Amino acid sequence: MSGLVLTEEPLQFGEGGRLSGVLTQPDSTSVKVRNPQVFVFLNAGLMHRVGPSRLHVRLARELAPLGFSSLRVDLAGTGDSPRRVGLTNRQSVAADFAEIKKFLDLRLGDVPLILFGLCSGADNAVRLTVGEQRVIGLVLLDPYCSSNGHIVEKARATYFRWLKPFQHIVALKKRLVPRALRDVPYHELPRTVFLTIREAVENRLEPETLRDVPTQDQLRAAFLKIRERKGRILSVFTLVAFQTYYDQAGQLGRVVKVDGYDEFCTEVFWPEATHTYLLEVHRRRIIEEVKTWAVGYSGAK
Amino acid sequence: MQEAFFFGESKHRVFAHYHPAARGDGQILTVICPPLFFEYMHVHSALRNLAIRLSEGDQNVLRLDYRGTGDSFGDIEEFGVSDWVDDIKLAVQEGRKISGSDDVHLIAVRAGALLAARSMEALDCVRRLVLWDPVADGATYLQELRDLQARCIEQHFYMSGADRVEASRECAGHLVSNRMIEGFATLDTNVYASVQKDKLHVICTRKANELHLDGASHFVVPPACDWSAIETRITIHPVMSELLKACLASS
Repeated sequence: MSGLVLTEEPLQFGEGGRLSGVLTQPDSTSVKVRNPQVFVFLNAGLMHRVGPSRLHVRLARELAPLGFSSLRVDLAGTGDSPRRVGLTNRQSVAADFAEIKKFLDLRLGDVPLILFGLCSGADNAVRLTVGEQRVIGLVLLDPYCSSNGHIVEKARATYFRWLKPFQHIVALKKRLVPRALRDVPYHELPRTVFLTIREAVENRLEPETLRDVPTQDQLRAAFLKIRERKGRILSVFTLVAFQTYYDQAGQLGRVVKVDGYDEFCTEVFWPEATHTYLLEVHRRRIIEEVKTWAVGYSGAK
Repeated sequence: MQEAFFFGESKHRVFAHYHPAARGDGQILTVICPPLFFEYMHVHSALRNLAIRLSEGDQNVLRLDYRGTGDSFGDIEEFGVSDWVDDIKLAVQEGRKISGSDDVHLIAVRAGALLAARSMEALDCVRRLVLWDPVADGATYLQELRDLQARCIEQHFYMSGADRVEASRECAGHLVSNRMIEGFATLDTNVYASVQKDKLHVICTRKANELHLDGASHFVVPPACDWSAIETRITIHPVMSELLKACLASS
């Protein structure tokens, strides 16, 4: 790929070459500064490694001229990587991450890592941070952030849970039921789906509870670790977060309650963007936001 | 076992996955031409599963990402329809080189069907073209995508006026070039008419969307795929999978 400021290499790595990914690196002849930090893009839900509307591809390619390498990888069970049979999602993600580190050790050495994740990708990034010293940065798009007891949040929860129970059920159904069954009347749903919704409703679960989100303690622990490692965190909250759990700028900082939060964390509240950055105008902006944030690492350890 | 690789010109490389045949003489190469825009994201996993199933038999399979899509180089606005048609031709050439297969089959999904049918003009080696929910007309297709974009903007209460103006220039969340718009305008049902009918198989998942081409074999296989939803996941129903295999195997 001569003439470009980056090189890209498709990969099959891990046990039996089970993990598929693409390693993007700055071209040493064209890029003067090479930063040691490597961005690792984790899948957003079931989307494959290119990210929603190729967000991960474009970010990796725009970070390369700034001197950053990136690994976009399909975790087991997503994209081109087969599922790990018999493991829970968390065990599977942990096993994948061990293989990612092993691969990066072999190819790039003991490099510091910046984990990038949208939605469930952010949840995975938070959980992986605590146990891995090498993670010195996080880019979290719509990470889960519990309530900090703000009056607006409480009012919204009450409104939906008690005054609009039907909407509450609809929201749960949307999360739980495959698209093909969404138009099926509640009472005609297959028994397993019906029981899952009933259980969720009876236990008064919030829709976001159905995502395997980190606990508030895990979230706080991840933030403390990043601070301890002198790293940085960028969190961006979009429309879906606003509609479900995030309704005030700065809410995450108030929830994690970590001293010096503003010194190492950047929190962006951006309700005009959609959760998966469907529009180019919003993708362009998030790419610029991440690039600006990443430049802060140049020269950092 | 699959192998991922780039091929083509150095600045605009095309990404592909190659799935070698697990058994048989591997004399057939099947190239999967994916749909475009968000439809590709929704069907990626289904097409991977299809490739695996076909390669478990006696077919070598190649899945490609058109330039500006998936892992391939460039952005959509840099390319036109003719570039994507060239990508299919190049993928066939590359696949034949890797596999050593002489007989080529194409499976093309949605707008990929228009591109594949256009590429057939230059591909004598293609013995079979199987279309899955083919788009009938390029210009109408683009208009549908623009309408979808308009609905998306309309329902978005928090967007600023400036963002609305900018987003209204997009098509299904992407900027597209004039070259592409012009290219799509040249793709209508006539593009299918130029394909030899005994090579053509059309599979639709919705009766209402059926594209009828005289002389070609037609099938309607529910459940219907919801291609118009911006966020969904398309899966291949076992019946569809078997039918695709049967179409590729039929003489």
